[in-house]
Amino acid sequence: MKGEGLTVLAILIASAFAILPVGRLALAAFAPGGVPAVQAAIDQIMSRASLRATLATLDTAAVSSAIALILGVSLAFVLSVTNVRGRQPLTFLFVLSMLISPQVVAVAFMGLVGPASPLLNTLGLAPEPGSVNPLLGRSGVILVMGLHHAPLVFIVLTTGLKRVPRSLVEAARIDRASPFMIAWSILLPLMRPHLVGAAVLAFVAGVGNFGIPAVLGLPVNFVTLPTLIYRRLSSFGPTIIGDIAALGILVALIASLGVLASRMIMRNTDIRLEDDAPLEPFWRIGRLRLLLEGLLWLLIGGVLVLPVVSLAVAALVPSYGVPLSLSTITLDNFAEVVLRQETTVRAFGNSIIFAAGSALALACLSIPMAYVLTRRRPRTSQVVLALIEMPYALPGVVLAIALILLFLRPLPLVGFSLYATPWIILLGYLARFLPVALKPTLAAMRQLDLAQEEAAALDGARLVQRLGDIIAPMLFPAAAAGGLLVFLLAFSELTVSALLWSAGTETVGVVLFSLEEAGLASQAAAVGVITIVGVITIVVVTVAMLALDALKSYLPEGVLPWRV
Amino acid sequence: MKRLALAIFAAALFPTAGFAQHVSGKLVLYTSQPNTDAQQTVDAFKAKYPQVEVSFVRGGTPRIMAKLRAEFEAGQPQADVLLIADSVTMEGLKNEGRLMVHEGADVAAYPAGTHDLQKQWFATKLITTGIVYNTKTSFKPTSWADLVKPELKGQVVMPSPLNSGAALIHAATLTGNLEGGWKYYEALRDNGAMAGGGNGDVLKSVSGGEKLFGVIVDYMPIREKAKGAPVEFVFPKEGVSAVSEPVATLKTARNPEASKAFVDFLLSREGQELALKQGYIAAHPDVALPAGYPSREQIKIMPFDAAKALADETKNKMTFADIFGQ
Repeated sequence: MKGEGLTVLAILIASAFAILPVGRLALAAFAPGGVPAVQAAIDQIMSRASLRATLATLDTAAVSSAIALILGVSLAFVLSVTNVRGRQPLTFLFVLSMLISPQVVAVAFMGLVGPASPLLNTLGLAPEPGSVNPLLGRSGVILVMGLHHAPLVFIVLTTGLKRVPRSLVEAARIDRASPFMIAWSILLPLMRPHLVGAAVLAFVAGVGNFGIPAVLGLPVNFVTLPTLIYRRLSSFGPTIIGDIAALGILVALIASLGVLASRMIMRNTDIRLEDDAPLEPFWRIGRLRLLLEGLLWLLIGGVLVLPVVSLAVAALVPSYGVPLSLSTITLDNFAEVVLRQETTVRAFGNSIIFAAGSALALACLSIPMAYVLTRRRPRTSQVVLALIEMPYALPGVVLAIALILLFLRPLPLVGFSLYATPWIILLGYLARFLPVALKPTLAAMRQLDLAQEEAAALDGARLVQRLGDIIAPMLFPAAAAGGLLVFLLAFSELTVSALLWSAGTETVGVVLFSLEEAGLASQAAAVGVITIVGVITIVVVTVAMLALDALKSYLPEGVLPWRV
Repeated sequence: MKRLALAIFAAALFPTAGFAQHVSGKLVLYTSQPNTDAQQTVDAFKAKYPQVEVSFVRGGTPRIMAKLRAEFEAGQPQADVLLIADSVTMEGLKNEGRLMVHEGADVAAYPAGTHDLQKQWFATKLITTGIVYNTKTSFKPTSWADLVKPELKGQVVMPSPLNSGAALIHAATLTGNLEGGWKYYEALRDNGAMAGGGNGDVLKSVSGGEKLFGVIVDYMPIREKAKGAPVEFVFPKEGVSAVSEPVATLKTARNPEASKAFVDFLLSREGQELALKQGYIAAHPDVALPAGYPSREQIKIMPFDAAKALADETKNKMTFADIFGQ
């Protein structure tokens, strides 16, 4: 069979990115040095500190996913069912709040309340000195995580609602069902698998989240599994990596159970037939519409605008705790971070290179992989896809430990170590974001007609030629979209790079986190503003580009989360 | 004779000064100084050695050491120069044979005990750990014992030895000097004291008013107070603990010339004046103290057993982590 090499390559890539790291981690946890030591791993998992962290992880993930569910579902229903205006900007901003990296969101929210809040101090509303910042600790982690993951639920639900046939609603209307009854007793029951699936997704995201518990939990000793792993590894060094591997396996286990569950639940949820018209808003609310719209914008203001404003105010005062006024306002923090701090400047350069490099590599890789998975090996593709998803679904710290275990010692044959080089971070990004890049390309590939390709094959075009001349140009918009999504996520990523960075390879996320940890909160805020500005710019560019593409209907449906 | 000695001394000095232009290449510094200070130090060095390209990594001393140990294991330590909190850690590295002897270092002005006798590491400052409070409070603490008083319940924050080298030395000093040893920390915990991050977190917490009292290194609150932050630093009456922010070149340094130039720069009068400008007590005994400090003689430093602190390093970290649930 022709193209066998390509198939093998695709499977090899999938295994290298997924099986190798996870397998190495399991080996370190249960059989360090080849000698089985299951008891030691279990002891580690059962130790007081890790039990407490496990409980905290499950607790924050569960409660925050409930918040995300309530918020995400309400918003999805309101926007899909009623005739409120401004659906597109609302969706865009809501999804944007999720694409801002969690540590930036956490820093922003932390500065929003509490006695040190630059915003509250400026307004003269700051609570008594000595009162605890209510966002530090369990409740803060839960709240911010819930708000941060709500768009995840929203996207799943909106996609699901789009798939409800319009005829169903029309039939009910002929039966004189009220719009509320339609939403409540027809749509909601239909959405049950999506509800459960979305809740599980938010739960898994909560289990693996590092940025929020690191910023809001660590200062008050509220430790979850990912932050426990980070703290142990970064304070005690590689001597205890064996113990840490056991904890990594524990997080991986919780996360993969969640992923498997959501896969089971979300299977066969497509109830709309090909030629059914998709659901459209059917609930015309009269005078209440303005009120509802006000509420929606208030929500966006709460989850996005307020924290950003608070960050901006923090960035403009000379020292933490000083109120903003005409006499205290200063641009020194920006100048310090952008002009004088070489680390920050270097970090921006690094992040751009890492993000652009992995985006480019993955976009290119996604075309042959999508081809192989759709045309050559449709049956094995399910397995391969599940494998590729692993490094993305697993918490970032787990992937990072696995990479340290794999690459700390000098590689055999070549005799040098990848650790402390940029390559280890780049490898981490490639492994982690492969499914992100692959998804749109795969969707586009599935829509491609065989005819052109067959014609070319009849004409004697070889596989490589067909890929380059026919498939690649047609998949290009989708691959570019995938690449941009990777760039967006990788640019302000922290979880993987927090453990992998070294002198000269700091990322934006690492610099923000270390500035925050060094207690220079106003500088962290400045970095945060820069990050946010950067991310917004990228999102705007992405949307502008893809809106153009969508006009030509090159992109398959559901590729862009804010175009659901 | 004296004049001859001076001439030899000058000759020994001059080559370094004369070669300033020839020192070049990349230099990697691992430091526990706060970002801003580290950048200023690097900038000042670069003004003198424009051909050296310096990059630095910043983190609490335990973090820096964890990173360095991983790099030792990978067989490629990245750092040329270390500028970290305490000499105990340096002593440990010296015993493992990781440090380079810098024979040419000029320590004439420094009293014995501020540097390694084999010239492997050199103290650059004197950083003491005392108490900080938010000026909005009515209670003014004057002693370590005040921190366990019921009036301060839930209002004390301190750095963790898992994050800060100074905090580790502080714990070793206090437990060696105060009656009851670790019982003092147990009492702090029972009084709701919190230990999370590093000294920077303490400053942020107290200056922002989230907590009213903190255990902290001297220069942070003294210099923030000058900028207008509502904080005051106290030298407790029992005395303070101290670290000396030593500098050393790694044996594996890729650029030993630039590394030694960096060490020399920090030990030079100019480097020591920079420390003064940044708000630190310079190690050089003739350099003045920054505004806001009492005189050198008035600062009472508690004694501590360096050898014991080195031997007990992991044990002390673990004991602390156990008490404060980390």
